Amino acid sequence: MKRLALLGFLGLAVGAAGLAYAQEEPSVPHQNWSFSGPFGTFDRGALQRGFQVYQEVCANCHSLKLLTYGDLGPTGPGGGIGYTGDQVRALAAQKQVTDGPNDQGEMFQRPARPSDHFVPAFPNDQANRAAHNGALPPDQSLIVKSRGAGLGILFGTSGADYVYAILTGYRDAPANDKLPDGMNYNLYFPGHHIAMPPPLSDDVVNYSDGTKASAQQEAHDVVTFLTWAAEPTMEDRKRTGAKVIIFLLVMTGILYAAKRKIWAKVH
Amino acid sequence: MAAPQAQNKIVRWIDRRLPIFSYLHHELYEYPTPKNLSYWWNFGSLAGLMLIIMIATGIFLAMEYTPNVNLAFDSVERIMRDVNYGWLVRYIHMNGASFFFIVTYIHIFRGLYYGSYKEPRELLWMLGVVILLCMMATAFMGYVLPWGQMSFWGATVITNLFSAIPLVGNAIVTWLWGGFAVDNPTLNRFYALHYLFPFLILGVVMLHVLALHTHGSNNPLGIDRKGPQDSIPFHPYYTVKDMFGVGVFLIIFAVFVFYFPNALGDPANYTRANPLQTPPEIVPEWYFLPFYAMLRSVPDILFIKAKLAGVIAMFSSIFVLFVLPWLDTSPVRSSRFRPVYKWVFWLLVLDVLVLGYVGAHRPEGWYVITGRIATFYYFLHFLILLPLIGIFERPLPLPTSISAAVTKGGGQLAGATVPREKP
Amino acid sequence: MADTVQPGPLHAGAHEGETRRDFLMVAATALVGVGAACAAWPLIDTMNPARDTLAAGAPVEVDVSSVQPGQQIVVLWRSRPIFVARRSPDQLQRLKKIDKGELRDPDSAALQQPPYAKNDVRSVKPELLVLVGICTHLGCIPEFMPDAGGALGTSWQGGYFCPCHGSRYDLAGRVFQNVPAPYNLPVPPYRFVSDTVIRIGENPPDSEFDFNTIEQI
Repeated sequence: MKRLALLGFLGLAVGAAGLAYAQEEPSVPHQNWSFSGPFGTFDRGALQRGFQVYQEVCANCHSLKLLTYGDLGPTGPGGGIGYTGDQVRALAAQKQVTDGPNDQGEMFQRPARPSDHFVPAFPNDQANRAAHNGALPPDQSLIVKSRGAGLGILFGTSGADYVYAILTGYRDAPANDKLPDGMNYNLYFPGHHIAMPPPLSDDVVNYSDGTKASAQQEAHDVVTFLTWAAEPTMEDRKRTGAKVIIFLLVMTGILYAAKRKIWAKVH
Repeated sequence: MAAPQAQNKIVRWIDRRLPIFSYLHHELYEYPTPKNLSYWWNFGSLAGLMLIIMIATGIFLAMEYTPNVNLAFDSVERIMRDVNYGWLVRYIHMNGASFFFIVTYIHIFRGLYYGSYKEPRELLWMLGVVILLCMMATAFMGYVLPWGQMSFWGATVITNLFSAIPLVGNAIVTWLWGGFAVDNPTLNRFYALHYLFPFLILGVVMLHVLALHTHGSNNPLGIDRKGPQDSIPFHPYYTVKDMFGVGVFLIIFAVFVFYFPNALGDPANYTRANPLQTPPEIVPEWYFLPFYAMLRSVPDILFIKAKLAGVIAMFSSIFVLFVLPWLDTSPVRSSRFRPVYKWVFWLLVLDVLVLGYVGAHRPEGWYVITGRIATFYYFLHFLILLPLIGIFERPLPLPTSISAAVTKGGGQLAGATVPREKP
Repeated sequence: MADTVQPGPLHAGAHEGETRRDFLMVAATALVGVGAACAAWPLIDTMNPARDTLAAGAPVEVDVSSVQPGQQIVVLWRSRPIFVARRSPDQLQRLKKIDKGELRDPDSAALQQPPYAKNDVRSVKPELLVLVGICTHLGCIPEFMPDAGGALGTSWQGGYFCPCHGSRYDLAGRVFQNVPAPYNLPVPPYRFVSDTVIRIGENPPDSEFDFNTIEQI
C-alpha cells in the first residue's frame, strides 16, 4: 500500500505537470519517430533532408544560434548528421560573418568557418520583429525541448509531436472564428491563431536523395533534424544508459546475494 | 572502550594524535543498531548519497557555468553540447535534485509513521527540518541559474512574496533583488549562495548523524533496545543492506537520467528568460507543489490580506514540523501499535498528494476549494488531530522487546512504552 | 562496550573457510569499486578541452605577403603567440656565422619541431620563420631583436631575447648555452597553401606531425 502511494505521487507529479498544460485544443497526435524509445536513433537520411528543409525554408526567419556549422560534421556532438569535414567547410563558407576590428579599427565580413555559429537571417531580434509585424520567429535550437507536455514527455517525443502538429495543423478557420488580419488558423496552436503562415507544402524543397517531398515528409524530416539540434547527444545518452543499467543490475544482484548471505544468521 | 589496537603502525600513529580510526571503528562495529530495521530505514543513507552526488556534479558544472544574465543560458547549453560528458553531469544534477527530494520526503514520512521524532530524538528531528529548509533554499536558487523562463519567473514570483511582510516588505525584496527586479545582481548572488548552501547542509547532516548516534536508530516497533540481544553491529549488516538499497535506487535514478531526463522538469525552462513575456503557467518544480498550493489557497483572513496569509501559511507548514515532537501526545512511537493514528497518517499522505496536484494547476474552479480544504486539513492534522489522538487513542499492546517480537513473532502485554514527556 | 551480537569473524579476515561468502564479498566490493571509478571518469573528463575549445584550435591562415624582410608579425594559434618573421638575406647570412658550440641544441636533436623544419634554418622555406613565441624556460614571450650588435653586445648576430630571465635564441629559434632556457623555441605545424598564405596548425599533406609530442612548449 505504501509502495502504491509512492508510485501514485510520482505518477501524479509527472501527470500534473503535463495536465497543467491541457487546453481546449485537441490533443497532439503521437507520431512514429526513429528516435523514440530507449533504443531509438536518428535516421541520418531524415536528418540531412530535414537540414535541407531548415536551410531552404525555415532559416529565412528562424535562427539556429546554438549550433555551429562544424556540429553537422564528424567532430560534432553525437557525430553530427553525417556530413564530412569538407562538406561542412563548404557549407559554412557560403555564409558571411562579421569579424574584426581589423588593424584599421573597422569591422569586416569574412566567410564563415566550421567553428562559427549558424549565421542568423537577421542581425538581431528587433530587425526580425520589424520584418514580421512585431512577431518574433523563435530560435529553433531548442524548440523541440521547449514544447510539449503530457504523458508524451515520458516517451521523450512530445515536443517533436507538437512541432509536427503545428507544421501540419493549418486549416481553414471555422465559420465562427474571428481570425485577425495577418494571422493564420492552426488546429494545435494554443488559441488557434498563429502569426506564422504555413511554411511547408508539397515539393517546396527538392530532396537530393530523391525522396518524395510531400508536406508530411518535409515536416517529419525537419522535426527529426530539429530534435537532433535540440539534443545532439541523445544517442550517446541512450547507449550509455543501457550499459549503466545493465552494470547496475549485475552489481545490485550481487549485493543482494551478499546481503542475504550476511543476514542469514539473523533471520 | 578503546578500539582494539590496529595492526598498521601508521594507523596507530595517526589514531593516537587524532582518533579518527578508533572513532570510525566504534561507529561501524560497536555502535548498536536495532536488528529489525526495515528497508524504510535505507532512505537516510540514500539522502546522504544524493547530497554527495549533488555536490560532486555541482562542482564540475560550476567549472563551466557563467552566472551572467547574457551568458548563463548559453553556458548551460554549452555544457550539454560541447563539454565532454557535460550532458550526463547536467542531467544527473537536474534529476538528482528531484531524487534528493523523493528520498528525503520518504525519509520524513518514515519518521512520521514510526514516531522517530519522539523523545529522545526531538533535536535529531529538528535538525532534519533545518536540513529540509536548506535543501529547499538551495533547490530554489539552483533552479534560477539556467536562466530559462521558469527560472526567471519562478524567482520573480517567490521573491515578490516577501513584499507581503508589513512595513519592511518592499525594502527586503529590493535587498534580495539587488535592484528593481530579478536581474544580474540577483543571479550572481543566487549562484554564490547556491554553491555555499550544500556545505552548510553537509555540516547540519553531520550534526544530524551525531544526534542519531547518541541514542541510536528508532525501529519499526518503536520500542527501545533493551540489551545486546536486540542489536547487531552496523557493519557488516547495515552496510551491505544500505549498499543493496543504493543499487536499487541507482537503477531507478539511471532510468530517469538516461531515458526520461526531462520528465520531471518544465519544457518552458528550455526557452531563454524573457522579462517582457510571462509564460502561460508559472509552476515550480514538483517538490514545491504542495507548498505552492498552500500559498495560493489562503484567502483574506480578518485583517490579513490573502498574499500575506498565504506566505504565513506556507512557512507555518514547515514550522509546524519543528514543533511536532510536542504536538504529538501519544506515549507510543510506532504507528504499528496506533490503530487510529495509522489511518490519520495515510490521510496526511493523501492530503499532501492532493495539495501537490492542486499546486500544478491554475487556481480556478474546483482547484480553489480543494486547495483550501487540503490546506486546512494539513494544519488540522498537526494542530488538532495529533494532540487529541495521542490522548484518546488506545494503543495496541507493545511487545516486551525487539528480539522477543522478532523471534517469537508475538506481542505481549508490557509496560514498555516511551516515557511521557514531562511538562 | 560491545553490546552487540557479533556476526562472526567476517570482518576480521578470512579465518573461516567460507569461500562462497568471501567470493561474494570480493565480487561485490570489486563491482562497487569499478562502478565508482566509472562514475568518476566522466566528471574528470569534463575538465578536458571541450568540443568548442578544440574547434577554436583549428588552423589559422595568415597572409604573409605584407611581412617585409627583417620584419615579424605575431598571430594567435591555440591561444598562443606565433612569431611569423621574414628573414632578410643578410639575416640568413648572419645565422650561418653563429658558432654551433655556442648553441645548446644546434642540430635540433630534441623534438621541438616537425620533421620538415628539422634543418639549419628550422623552417620550410628559408626566408619565412614560424615559431611558437613562448620561452621554453618559464613561458614569457621573447623579444624580437633581429639586428646585430646593439644592447646585447658586439657578438650578437640577431635573434630573440627573453626579458624575464635573459634567455637568448638565434634567428632560427635555437637556444644558446649558459642561459636558463633548456630547449629551442618550438616550431608549430604549418604549411604553405599558396606562395603568400600559410596555414598554421596544419601539416603539409605528406606529414603527420603531432604538436602535442614536442618536448616543451
